[in-house]
Amino acid sequence: MRPIPQDIGAGLFLLALAGLALWLGSDLAGGRLNQIGAGMFPRVVAIAIGLCGLALVIGGLRKGGIALERWQWRGPLFILGAAVAFGFAVRPLGLAVAGPLVIMLGAYASRETRWLETLVFGVVMTAFCIGLFRFALNLPIPVAPWPIGY
Amino acid sequence: MEALADNLALGFATAFSPQNLAFCFIGCLVGTLIGVLPGVGPIATIAMLLPLTFQFEPTSALIMLAGIYYGAQYGGSTTAILVNIPGEATAVVTALDGHQLARQGRAGIALGLAAIASFCAGTVATVVIAALGEPLTRLALLFGPAEYFALMVLGLAFAVVLARGSILKAVAMILAGLLLAAVGTDLETGEERLTLGLDALSDGIDFAVLAMGLFGFAEVLRNLETPEARSVVRAKIGRLLPGRAELRQALGPMLRGTGLGSLLGILPGNGAVLGPFASYSVEKKIAKDPTRFGQGAIEGVAGPEAANNAGAQTAFIPLLTLGIPPNAVMALMVGAMTIHGIIPGPQVMTKSPELFWGMIASMWIGNLMLLVINLPLVGLWVKLLKVPYRLMFPAILIFCCIGIYSINNSASDVLLTAFFGLVGYALIKFGFEPAPLLLGFVLGRLLEEKLRQALILSRGDLMTFVERPVSAGLLLVAVVILAVAVLPSVRAGREKAFQD
Repeated sequence: MRPIPQDIGAGLFLLALAGLALWLGSDLAGGRLNQIGAGMFPRVVAIAIGLCGLALVIGGLRKGGIALERWQWRGPLFILGAAVAFGFAVRPLGLAVAGPLVIMLGAYASRETRWLETLVFGVVMTAFCIGLFRFALNLPIPVAPWPIGY
Repeated sequence: MEALADNLALGFATAFSPQNLAFCFIGCLVGTLIGVLPGVGPIATIAMLLPLTFQFEPTSALIMLAGIYYGAQYGGSTTAILVNIPGEATAVVTALDGHQLARQGRAGIALGLAAIASFCAGTVATVVIAALGEPLTRLALLFGPAEYFALMVLGLAFAVVLARGSILKAVAMILAGLLLAAVGTDLETGEERLTLGLDALSDGIDFAVLAMGLFGFAEVLRNLETPEARSVVRAKIGRLLPGRAELRQALGPMLRGTGLGSLLGILPGNGAVLGPFASYSVEKKIAKDPTRFGQGAIEGVAGPEAANNAGAQTAFIPLLTLGIPPNAVMALMVGAMTIHGIIPGPQVMTKSPELFWGMIASMWIGNLMLLVINLPLVGLWVKLLKVPYRLMFPAILIFCCIGIYSINNSASDVLLTAFFGLVGYALIKFGFEPAPLLLGFVLGRLLEEKLRQALILSRGDLMTFVERPVSAGLLLVAVVILAVAVLPSVRAGREKAFQD
């Protein structure tokens, strides 16, 4: 299979974005120029985005251009997965759990990770962050609500 | 003139209180500390450190924030010189000759000159801000919605021209930013727009969330994919303070860089990024022996660094006087100010002169502190740069998570940031630049508001934008620069300029 030009991918991405915005905003009133409604601005912008997307796709079909790079899933999966895990863990379990969790999960994103080192690093970083953010700066971030209710 | 002196005196009295000095110092220190990390530019640095300032009263918080900002800028230059990894576009130029100097065992001189040039530029730029602040504020009061709208369009047009790569893609990114800004409750009708019914989106997308996703997370993802090619300079750092001959060599470039940077920094639409490029090419053009550039020319560090810092500082002018942030970093400042209950704009100067002038004075103090902090701490930064990326990125990750969570104490913000990280990764793969998107996002809400107000005033007549002279002039400039940028000959020149 021939590699897909980057511009075609980019154009399709914009078309999808425009389509999504038009669909989500379809129930909003557009209003008239002397009293613009909630829907007009997003709709006009979405149409303009769609036109840009169309131009990119057409340009890509005619001229080709740089090929679309390969997507790797390891990085996004673990880095963003770690952040998501942090988001879910921080309220009920506190920083004491969410901190090492985000570091250990995130570390899977790299092949160079050494596990013992990362574990120690995660614990030390978490302790440092608890000291800095919770105690020195007094931010209301839960530390460990389950055993000590703090 | 006397008023200016009085105002500056008030500012320095505020900024020189021991407490505010301490805040300024801490801000500079942590700003540099995070800014030094390779792959972490000023935007991510400031977004990460925003929560640090929450507990303090507004003046101190803003002074600390300004310190963080300069620290982040300077940290980026340090990384550029020592590792040849520029944290952001403006440090690219510093890396050219700065890193060569470092490889010749003169890293100390490069760092010292960068600090001195930044300080000189900062001093001049502080005076420029103080002098221009008042007249521009008066000008702002004359601006109606149509003029504001035209000015923002001009800013966005500049951003398109200044973005790298395809112009079409830059326009698309600006538009995408405008669209994202429309998400949330419509201020006039109270209707929810494009929220997918999610509670987390009903107040709109937080700027820090978007910025951290697109710049913090997406940068980490990109760095993980490109195999690490960090070569921290092994040569000696050497002495830090330049000698008399070197200072004399650097003086001209510094002054010219300051002038160029101050001027370009005032432009809406991130004109500040042009400063270092402009300064570098000017110095190269007027040098007796241009071949030295790229081989470790002192002028190639001093000029662009001065331009960079001057621009970074005069970029505050549109924000403080007109309330329009000219670039993404300034937009974060808006976010921070709003958290403290200050709406940036012409009224800040009259309503809270202490804050306004205190912040301006602390800019100068911040620059002085950078000089004091950085020179003795260079050894520490070098050590920090040797930390392998496999440990650095988890640390960045946890700081990002805690930072985002703390801004609104909201766990769903962290999830949203992760989502924008994925979007940012996709944008990189599709060859889009995220910077114009952020600018479009920042200006989007204000742009729509002013557009609607202007049209209400004119009873729906679009001609209002061309009938009012100021607005017509601003829009004309916007059209001209866009048209010029699309011309094939200028396009070729633009590509060449970015490659240099």
